[in-house]
Amino acid sequence: MLRNLLALRRVTQRTFSTASRRHFENKVPEKQKVFQEDNGLPVHLKGGVTDALLYRATMFLTLGGTVYALYLLTLASFPKKQD
Amino acid sequence: MTHQVHPYHMVNPSPWPLTGALSALLLTSGMIMWFHFNSSTLLLIGLLTNLLTVFQWWRDVVREGTFQGHHTPMVQKGLRYGMVLFIISEIFFFAGFFWAFYHSSLAPTHDLGGCWPPTGIIPLNPLDVPLLNTSVLLASGVSITWAHHSLMEGNRNHMIQALFITIALGLYFTILQASEYYETPFTISDGVYGSTFFMATGFHGLHVIIGTTFLLVCFFRQLNFHFTSKHHFGFEAAAWYWHFVDVVWLFLYVSIYWWGS
Repeated sequence: MLRNLLALRRVTQRTFSTASRRHFENKVPEKQKVFQEDNGLPVHLKGGVTDALLYRATMFLTLGGTVYALYLLTLASFPKKQD
Repeated sequence: MTHQVHPYHMVNPSPWPLTGALSALLLTSGMIMWFHFNSSTLLLIGLLTNLLTVFQWWRDVVREGTFQGHHTPMVQKGLRYGMVLFIISEIFFFAGFFWAFYHSSLAPTHDLGGCWPPTGIIPLNPLDVPLLNTSVLLASGVSITWAHHSLMEGNRNHMIQALFITIALGLYFTILQASEYYETPFTISDGVYGSTFFMATGFHGLHVIIGTTFLLVCFFRQLNFHFTSKHHFGFEAAAWYWHFVDVVWLFLYVSIYWWGS
């Protein structure tokens, strides 16, 4: 967790450039540094805290949805009795 | 410290194949709940988890290639084979719908009036919006070629302009086609004419939207300096896909809009 925060700090420290605000600056070297850091993190979590949050949200929705789907399919398998 | 002595890419363990497969389950069972029980919650969760998966999976591919340098010439060769095989599978997908169209239209049954278009069906004028759509997609094929050459020649501004024009033409096609769908005097339930028309053109329209999205991603990657004049396979894959979409439309136009009227 702390390693992610430290990595995030490094990413947010921008070098000054002469490019005007309107144009895009080439941030690829910075990104290359972040993603090549030897911190043992897999690529899907290597970008920082946002990666972990997005991963957890995706997993939660997917697993939760699967349980919900299986519940609905079980329910649909037993038709309601007609009175 | 260990280092690899081969040119291949041993990917990190990833959760996206699992979430992708489960999202496919949610999409399909969600459609069942929507069709049969009038409930769209599961379908929406399926769409959301699918979007999250593809976004993060392809984000990781960009990280692995552009930021980590894993896309060696060998790896790129594999990616090229992969894209070609995928497009071939899509060709077979559309072949099915064209088969269905020709099956019904070459020997129209007596309940259709023994003619094509069937009795009572007013087809769209092929020289109207459909012809405009054809010119829009053909022009977009020219502009994307201009974008590619600009990229290979290192002309950043021209590449951005040409890609922007390509995306704009793709959006224009989608808007035109959507308005055509609104204006047709026939619906999908108007016999086999309606079924074949909307299944073939509908899936084509979906592929135009997918292709436009792919081009948009390339646009933002180009703005962010991801592509070099020698290494830009993501863009090439998008361009191949876009040409494929264009060719499918040409077949649709000639077969369904023109011959089929």
